[in-house]
Amino acid sequence: MKTQVLLIGGRNKAKSLAISLIHSGYRVTVINETYEDCLKLAETDKLRVINGDGTKPFVLEDAGASDVDIAIAMTSKDEDNLVICELCKKRFHIKKTVALVTDPQKTDFFYKMGIDSVVCAITAITGIIEQQAFIDKMATLVPIREGRVSIAEVPINGNAAVVGKKLWEINLPKEVIIGCILRGDTTMIPRGDTRILAGDMLVLISSDKQEMAAIKELTDEAVIL
Amino acid sequence: MESFAGKIASSDYVVIVGCGRLGANLANTLSENGGNVLVIDKDKEAFRKLSPSFGGLTIVGDATDFDVLGEDAQMGKANVVVAVTNNDNINIIVAQIAHEVFKIRQVIARLYDPDRECVYREFGIDTICPAILSAKEIEKILSKNDGKDFYEEAEK
Repeated sequence: MKTQVLLIGGRNKAKSLAISLIHSGYRVTVINETYEDCLKLAETDKLRVINGDGTKPFVLEDAGASDVDIAIAMTSKDEDNLVICELCKKRFHIKKTVALVTDPQKTDFFYKMGIDSVVCAITAITGIIEQQAFIDKMATLVPIREGRVSIAEVPINGNAAVVGKKLWEINLPKEVIIGCILRGDTTMIPRGDTRILAGDMLVLISSDKQEMAAIKELTDEAVIL
Repeated sequence: MESFAGKIASSDYVVIVGCGRLGANLANTLSENGGNVLVIDKDKEAFRKLSPSFGGLTIVGDATDFDVLGEDAQMGKANVVVAVTNNDNINIIVAQIAHEVFKIRQVIARLYDPDRECVYREFGIDTICPAILSAKEIEKILSKNDGKDFYEEAEK
């Protein structure tokens, strides 16, 4: 049987997510409170649309919540998303619940209340903007768990101050390690006495949002006297 | 109302979220009985419902905001939190934040929709549902009159 996904709230977000999920072979149902939004959503092929307040148990029941595998609450109100996910979990025993949250401070609280996955749009967007701003210094940044841990690829230019230094000589933030050095065709797991050479690609693993400080330390150019 | 107010010790700190008819009424009664009361509402105008003799504090702000609850309202020091806004979902999130984050033992939330009540009972949050209370009360009145003739009643 196809995996069933229930999307609650969100107009454009819900539509583009629904299209992408249907394309990947999921069965998707959308609940939306506004009738006009429902009409717009209903233009999508194979999408089941239900007009109603997703925070009400009977609306969720009408949407067939008992057979749903994944519920995603993406209304604009944090309190509604919390209630939707809690109802899905407690009343309809949905295995996986995902909530969108506006206020970054509530992320931990939502996890504490038993929601399986909490996505904070603000945290995600500021993360992307930060990454874009540093794009010349960094190839990719992979955030894990809301960006609490991230993996970044950092290319080392010939004129960076760290070239020729051993790892233990570099003043990296505590929460950062260099997990791997890609040098030409070889891959090496560095030790404290490994020297960084020009043209190296470093793979950084960092927690606690320390990656920017680490990248700055690694890519800052040497001061020519 | 009197019996509830009577149980609140004068040193107790009660936070009421939502200054509607119920919130304001409760705040007035508790304040008259010497309790320390703080009322939060997002609308400044709502505080007009408080009586002129109301001796507690008021905060204009979003009661689901951790900064408003933690710093402005000193929620951590509260003995009792009562969530009585006109939005069920806000009452639920406020009650859960009070219970889980600020570890308040006595948390009461008003829920208009009795359908949602069963889900929250297990969280250790007391919920009151006006529709159910009213229905019970009406039933009580009806059962009192049971078997009696209404004309008889009127003659007395």
